[in-house]
Amino acid sequence: METLKLEVITPSGLIFNGSVLSVTLPGEEGEFGVLPRHATLTTLLKAGVIDIEKENKSIESVVVNWGVVQVDEEKVVVLVDGAVAIRGENESEIAKALDDAKRLLRDASDSNIAIASVAAKIEGAAQKLIY
Amino acid sequence: MANLKEIQRKIKSVSSTQKTTRAMKLVSTAKLRRAEELAKRSRLFAQKTNQVIAEIALRVKCQKVGGIESRAFAKIDAPAMVDIIFVTADKGLCGGFNMQTIKAVRKMIEGHKEKKIKMRLRGIGKKGIEYFNYNEVELLDAVKDLSSAPDMQRAAEFIQTSIQDYYEGKIDAVYIVYNGYKNVITQELKTIRVLPVNVDEYDCSEQKQSMLEIEAEDHEKMLNSLIEKYVEYNMYYALIDSVAAEHSARMQAMDSATNNAKEMVKSLKVKFNKARQESITTELIEIISGVESMK
Repeated sequence: METLKLEVITPSGLIFNGSVLSVTLPGEEGEFGVLPRHATLTTLLKAGVIDIEKENKSIESVVVNWGVVQVDEEKVVVLVDGAVAIRGENESEIAKALDDAKRLLRDASDSNIAIASVAAKIEGAAQKLIY
Repeated sequence: MANLKEIQRKIKSVSSTQKTTRAMKLVSTAKLRRAEELAKRSRLFAQKTNQVIAEIALRVKCQKVGGIESRAFAKIDAPAMVDIIFVTADKGLCGGFNMQTIKAVRKMIEGHKEKKIKMRLRGIGKKGIEYFNYNEVELLDAVKDLSSAPDMQRAAEFIQTSIQDYYEGKIDAVYIVYNGYKNVITQELKTIRVLPVNVDEYDCSEQKQSMLEIEAEDHEKMLNSLIEKYVEYNMYYALIDSVAAEHSARMQAMDSATNNAKEMVKSLKVKFNKARQESITTELIEIISGVESMK
C-alpha cells in the first residue's frame, strides 16, 4: 500500500517520524485527512488531535496545541509548539501521557467545549491502547 | 621551620582548590552534553520553521505588487527606537563568557547613540543585569533565572512584550545579543535581528512551481501567527545556545584553572623540598660546628 512520510517536529525534538498510511489533522477551519498524493497545502492547525494511521494500521494519537502543517505529495511536515503522543508500554505510562495531554490542552485553549471534545477523543484512544 | 609549615599549608589549600575546579569541570562537561543534545534537537525545528516562513513570505511577496504589508517584513531605514535583548549566564566562573556579551552590548549602545537611535535594554541572566545595574544603565526589564533553565513558555512570554510593541509601532527593530555555542572549545558571539524579518534574500524568480493556491487573506493570517512563533522560538533558541556555550566556557575555564593549580602545587613542592633541604643543611652545620668547637 502507498504511504506518505510524516514528521511531527516540536522545539524540543521530533515526536514522530516515519511512513504512514494516512493522517488526520485538526485544521484551523476543521479537521481534514491527508492520504498519499495529496495536493500541496500549507495551513494552520488549532489545538486538537493528530490521528496517525501507521503502516500496521494501528492508530496513534498526538495532541498538539498549535501548529503549521506543510503537505506535499509524498510528505507531511507538522511544526508544533507543544505536543504529547498518547502511547506507552503500560497503563500507567499511558495515563501519564493522557494527563500531560490534557494539561497541554487546558493551557492552549480557552474554550471548554473544545477541550472537552478533544479530551473525550484522546481518552477513547487511550482506552483502546490499554485493552 | 615556620617557612616549611607555611608552604605545606599553601600546598594543601591549592590542591583542595584544584579538587573543586576539577569537580566543576566534570559537572560542566555533563551539563554541556545535555545542553548540546537539546540544541541539536531543536535545530531541526528551526530549519523547518525558517523554510516554511521563507516559502510563505516568498509567495506573499511575489503575488502582491508592492511587497508584503505586514509590519514584520517592513523595511525601516531610520529606526527611532530599538529593543536590545541580551542573554548572559546567571553564574560566573566561566572565563570571559559574560564579559564578551556585555562588551558587545556596550558597543551596540554606543553605536546607536552616535546615530541618535533610542533603545531599550532588556536583560536575561544575572551577570549582565548586575553589570548594567552597577554602571547605572537603565534596563527596561530583567529576568534572572531564565538563562540557566531555558523554557519555551517563559521565553515566549518574555519576548511577547517586544513583539507587541513592534506591531504597535513603539519600536522599530528587535535584536538579540548572546554568546552562542560553536564547538566544545569556542563560543561565538551572535547578534541577531529577529524583527523585522529579513526577506530581501528571497528572489521571486526562484519561486518553485507550486500547485497550490491559497487565498491571500489566509496567507497573511498564517504568516502573522507563524512569525510570532518564529520570534518566540528564536528567543528560546538563543537561550539554549547560550546555556550550551556557558557550559563549554566554564568547562574550559575550570580546565585551565585545574591545570594552573597543578602547576602551582608542583612549584610549591619544589620550594618545599628546597626549604627542607636547607633547614637540614643548617642543622648539620650547627652540629658539626658545635663538635668542632668542643675539640
